[in-house]
Amino acid sequence: MRILEAQNAVLTNVEVYTFLSNQAQQYQSQKRRGPSNLETLRGEMLEYFETFPGPLSQKPLPYDVNSIPVLLKRLRPYKITKGECIMVVNMRPTSSAALNAVIEDMGGRFSEEKQDEIINIIIEVLGEFPPPPPAEEGDDDAMETTEDGL
Amino acid sequence: MFILTKIADLVQIPPSQFEQHSRVAIENNINAKFSNRVIQKIGLCICMYDLLWASEGLIGHGDGLVNVNGTIAALLPVRTEFFEEITVSYKELPENTEYDHNEHAWVWVVDDERMHYDKNEMVRFQVIDETWNDQLPESGEQEAVERAKSISPYSIKGTMIREGLGVCLWWD
Repeated sequence: MRILEAQNAVLTNVEVYTFLSNQAQQYQSQKRRGPSNLETLRGEMLEYFETFPGPLSQKPLPYDVNSIPVLLKRLRPYKITKGECIMVVNMRPTSSAALNAVIEDMGGRFSEEKQDEIINIIIEVLGEFPPPPPAEEGDDDAMETTEDGL
Repeated sequence: MFILTKIADLVQIPPSQFEQHSRVAIENNINAKFSNRVIQKIGLCICMYDLLWASEGLIGHGDGLVNVNGTIAALLPVRTEFFEEITVSYKELPENTEYDHNEHAWVWVVDDERMHYDKNEMVRFQVIDETWNDQLPESGEQEAVERAKSISPYSIKGTMIREGLGVCLWWD
């Protein structure tokens, strides 16, 4: 075995997710099974991608691989690095705390207004989780009692 | 994070697989060899992404194996959660984090509110370091082989010190 090029390209989660789900479908339609190590890993990967709060767990998925160039174009004026863009696509941060986790020195680079603009672009292009149904007051009380009881 | 890596390798197709299309046979052989395996300094391989080039098959004497030289692009993640060798040192937790001995959990205290890192809680972390261990044994002795196998070939060190990292529930 020879490594010709260690890093030929970087892929985002949605690209890998699409590749693996297509592969799973294709194998199924051809009544073909891959080696067991591949089948196991693919199952685990798809499960990992589809776990909340990962954005790929949202059904129906509000974006696909074609959304990436759109997002890059819209984010270009903010001078976000390529690596940061990949993490934005992977994590889809929709709050400033989440955005802070993927952008280096966010406070120094972007004012709060700019941060909101970026978050709005992300929501427009990649979507966001629908807000959780409003919790009833009775539920809140029950939660507190359980926590105190621990 | 996932990267594509270009790899050249020799694939041996046993006679039992001659009925398959060569593209299918090559893909299965590559995946059987690489999928879910760690390549040193590269990462954990997911699967073959594309077959870039393959030579004509040559059948060797004796074994009947078809030898195909091929170039493939493999798919590798650098950061995963189905991958278990990830550790976060307590020094990489936010300030005012303490260990609660009664609850056996780390707790982040913010304005008198106690936020727990519960077991199996979904978290976000940032990779700060990775360690590669070649599993080559020091000698051919059984003990050395076992010892080499027990060391994980690839492990990741993470941090949760930044805002937005740690338990996902806190931020969403």
